[in-house]
Amino acid sequence: MTVDDFRSQIDAAASDAGRRLDATTERSALAAIVVPLRQIPPIDPDQRLSPERLHQIDRAFFGPFFREKYGTGGDKALENGRIRYYGPIQPANNAAELAGRRYVHEFDTMTGCTRGWHETLDRMGNVRQVRPERYDGTMRHYQFDSNGRYRGSW
Amino acid sequence: MEVDLQAVRRVFEDVLNGRMLREQADRWAYTVVREEETGVVTYAPLGERERIWAGVMYLYGIDTKKAPDTYLHSDDDIREAMTAKLGGVGGDLARDDSAGSRAAVAMLVRT
Repeated sequence: MTVDDFRSQIDAAASDAGRRLDATTERSALAAIVVPLRQIPPIDPDQRLSPERLHQIDRAFFGPFFREKYGTGGDKALENGRIRYYGPIQPANNAAELAGRRYVHEFDTMTGCTRGWHETLDRMGNVRQVRPERYDGTMRHYQFDSNGRYRGSW
Repeated sequence: MEVDLQAVRRVFEDVLNGRMLREQADRWAYTVVREEETGVVTYAPLGERERIWAGVMYLYGIDTKKAPDTYLHSDDDIREAMTAKLGGVGGDLARDDSAGSRAAVAMLVRT
C-alpha cells in the first residue's frame, strides 16, 4: 500500500471537520449567491472534469471557501473531482530526516464532503506519515518509507 | 464563537509552560476549525484574522509525533512559530484579560 492508496481509503465520512452539503443543494445555492468572476464555458454534465477544468472552477467558485484558509501552501486538482489544499509546512528543526508537517484539506466537488489529515514530510518532500482526523477522536499515525511504502501504524 | 489573538497566544504559552498538554491544544484548535467550517467564528480584533488563523492552524496538529513517545516539534520549534505567526512575544499581554482568555480556552478544551 502506498501513501496515495492510503489516502484514497480514508473514508470521506471520517472527517467531521468538513461540511456535509448535498451536492445538488450546494450547486443551486452557489448558483444563487455566487457571481463568477469570469465566464467558464459549459460542458456536458456526463463529462468527467479534467484537473485543469477543476482548477478553473476552483479559482472562480471555491477559492474563497477553502484556498485562503487551507491552501496557502498550494493546491492540486485530482482526476476524481477532488481538490486538495495544502497548508504551509510547519518546520521541525530537530527531527532528523523529517522536515515538518502540514495540514491537508480535501474537498470533493461532486459530493460537497471534505476531509482532512496531517502529513509529516521528510527533507526530500516525501510524505512519511499521515494522521487523519477521525470521528472517534483517536489519533493514529500511519508511517511510510521514503519510497512511499506503508510501514505500519501506531 | 469568538477567538482573539491573546487566547491563541495564551495556548502557545500554556503549552510551552507545561500548563496545557499538546493534545489539549490540538483539540482546542480543532474545535475552532470545526466552528470555522460552519461559519460561526468571529475574530478579535477583526484585522488580525490572518494571524489568529495561522496560529490556530499551527496548534492544530501540534501533538504530531515522530515516534510513539516523541513529539515531532521541539519547544524551540513552537516558540519560533509563536513569534513568527503571532508577532512579538507578549506585546499586548500586559493589557490582556488573561484570566478571561484562559477560562474560555479551558471551557473549549473540556467540551
